[in-house]
Amino acid sequence: MDPSEREQYRAAIHGDREAFEMIIRTHSRTLFAIAYGILQSREEAEDVVQDSLVKAWKTRWRVRDPEKFPAWLATVARHKAHDVFRKRRTVPLSEQVIEPTEPESANPSALDHRLQSALAALPELHRAALTLRYFEGMDYRTIENTLGLTNGALRGILGRALTSMRKQLRPALASID
Amino acid sequence: MATIHDEIDNWLAADLHRELSNSERSALHAHLVDCSACRKTHREIKLMNKILEETLADEKPDPAFEQRMLAGFRNRIPQRSGLVRALVDLMRLRATQIAAVAAALLGLVQIGRMITGESVTAPREREGYVGEQFAAQPSQVPTSRAAQSGALAKSDEGAAGRPQGLALKEPPPPAPAQSKDEGRTRAEVERTIVTGSNIPTTAEEVAQATVQEPAPALTNRKLIRNATVELEIASFDNAVQKITAFASDEHGYVATTDSEKQANGKLRGQVVVKVLPENLDRFLQKIRSLGELKNQTLGSEDVTKAYFDTDARLKNAHVMEQRLIDMLKTKTGKVSDLLQVEKELGRVREEIEKMQGELKYWDSQVQFATVTISLAEKDMEEPAAFLLKERAQLSLYTPDVEKIYNETKSLASPKVQITNAQLNRDYSGRVSAQLSMLIAPEESDAVIGRVKGFGRVENFQTQTQRIAQGGSGMSENARTKRDKMELNIAISREEQEQAFQQTSLRIRTSSVDEKAKELRTLAEKQAGRVRSSSFSRDPDGREVANVSLRVPLKNYPALMQSLDSLGKVQNVSVQRQDRAEAQVDESNAPADISIQVYSQGNIVTEESGLLATLRRTLAQSAGAIMWSLRMIGVAIAFLAPWAIAIVGIIWITRRAIRAKR
Repeated sequence: MDPSEREQYRAAIHGDREAFEMIIRTHSRTLFAIAYGILQSREEAEDVVQDSLVKAWKTRWRVRDPEKFPAWLATVARHKAHDVFRKRRTVPLSEQVIEPTEPESANPSALDHRLQSALAALPELHRAALTLRYFEGMDYRTIENTLGLTNGALRGILGRALTSMRKQLRPALASID
Repeated sequence: MATIHDEIDNWLAADLHRELSNSERSALHAHLVDCSACRKTHREIKLMNKILEETLADEKPDPAFEQRMLAGFRNRIPQRSGLVRALVDLMRLRATQIAAVAAALLGLVQIGRMITGESVTAPREREGYVGEQFAAQPSQVPTSRAAQSGALAKSDEGAAGRPQGLALKEPPPPAPAQSKDEGRTRAEVERTIVTGSNIPTTAEEVAQATVQEPAPALTNRKLIRNATVELEIASFDNAVQKITAFASDEHGYVATTDSEKQANGKLRGQVVVKVLPENLDRFLQKIRSLGELKNQTLGSEDVTKAYFDTDARLKNAHVMEQRLIDMLKTKTGKVSDLLQVEKELGRVREEIEKMQGELKYWDSQVQFATVTISLAEKDMEEPAAFLLKERAQLSLYTPDVEKIYNETKSLASPKVQITNAQLNRDYSGRVSAQLSMLIAPEESDAVIGRVKGFGRVENFQTQTQRIAQGGSGMSENARTKRDKMELNIAISREEQEQAFQQTSLRIRTSSVDEKAKELRTLAEKQAGRVRSSSFSRDPDGREVANVSLRVPLKNYPALMQSLDSLGKVQNVSVQRQDRAEAQVDESNAPADISIQVYSQGNIVTEESGLLATLRRTLAQSAGAIMWSLRMIGVAIAFLAPWAIAIVGIIWITRRAIRAKR
């Protein structure tokens, strides 16, 4: 890690507001990508990022090692997103369930729906990895660090995610092709 | 190991994301050329990637996203005001944190001291000061006493822990500039304060004290020494002889002796010896060898002050006397004045003589020590004679107390003295008498024999006491003498006598009254007397007669046999009091028999009949029902509050759950 970056994290942990605001500028998109990966809703994801930042500021003293600060931020965001996700599940499902089962092929909006449901079917870790890659164009190493994965694990995750989606979307793909 | 073909998805994704190394990429492309299935997958993946890129690009946050996040953050966590922020920033510094912790710790320590009451000033200063003081001291002490001074320093250090306000108030002295003497006095003052007394603490000081003691004064001291010794010796005369010899050995003399002969021929006395004071201790040692030392005291009286006071006054009186004599010699003035002078001269001379006498007495007392020796021969307490004192007492039982009383009184003669005679008659007409007499020893047996003939004797007791005269303990050659005998007689009527044997029994019979009468005639045949009798009948038809008889013991077995003719004899119990020390005329001794003659009443009593039992059973069952009712009430009272509370809690919980929904 870059020494200046490290210093920034340290200052933020010790209550330096400016340093923390700088971290907000550089990291909120990552957090958004994670939250979106879980929730698949821009509005909710944005709220989650906002809540996570406030919570991170209030509980920053829990982080001992400045190097782990970004990963910790990501964890806070993931937990927040989970909370929101769980609350959403308690809402009666009946209205939502009907939507993705409508078979309307060769229609761009239909493809969109298909994609959304294929994404929804993925494990949330896979979704978060995908969003980080496609939103932020992050390299594998950074994604692994952010999500707390071991080195080289991401390749398999992304591979499986893409395959799963490819299989679900195969008819649509065929038509496009 | 997995081949590219097996993991084609991973490889293709990584390729699209440009995460393959050059070698990996060429390997992948080589495989794609060979494998048509993988080529198809490649196409699909590429398409998938494109779709994802296009679709998700729309979902990306807008450029103002960060600004929104920042604004939201600032809104929810407002910036602190200047002062608070400065404080917070300050607390962020490591140095400030350490200082704060140190201050907090110090504060805690101070609070702890205040609570425990320990002095708040730092103790290090005090220790340093004391150490400095005594560090300077060894230079004033001779080197040969280094060890002693070390011990001194140590004792002072030990004491330094205690508060010593006085010493502390003085400023620390500039040690090198101070003179030795000053240092010494300071050190002594210090030590006095530390130990809290003037007792010398070291051997050094003790030595100094004895050296400083004014030696010449000792020789002028007027000390009167005296001793008392108490000795037990075998022979008084022998001891006096030896004491005289010892006294002359020690340049002394026997001042007085006196002796006294005891009744048992032993001698007791006192010898006063004067010896030179310096020989006193040796003399006492010698005296101890004479016999067993019982007691010894040694004392001295310092009369120095009184002696020299008197001496000075004597000198003044001499001067006065001389002046008065001179006045008489010149013979001027009136006769009355001369007479006055003469009178005064007489008074002064008298005073001078008195003082001279006093001084002489003291001189003699000081010149010789007085030893008072008390001597006593062994076995001083041996008795001279023994006196045998006899005392006898007896109780007489007789039908006619007054007659016997008078007969006994008539025994009086020069050798039989009646010291006390008393005849008592109480309100119920019972008569008793008491007599005391002193009988000459040679007459005693005859008189007692006659008294015994007057009636039935009981409780005859004699007691002999040997009294030592003029001492205590044993003596082989003391005489024994018989004293007059003291006899106490108590005379009372036969009824009052306590029965020698008591028997109680019951006789069951059908006709109680008749049998009770028969019983009386039986008793009269055996010379018995009826002491009391009673008869009663109870509602159940039971009859009881109680008869109490007294017969002489010799007729007792015959009477007991004859009782069998009356009915069935039951519950016989016999109680007998053997008075071992008393001489009892057994055949005539009275025996009490209390007899209960009784008949059986109704078999079923009023209380145990059928109706009574029924009634009782009903009452008991009603009681049991009442009791169980009461218990039920108690249980309800005990459980009801809990039941109400539990029901209330359940109700509230239900309401709360419903409200949530």
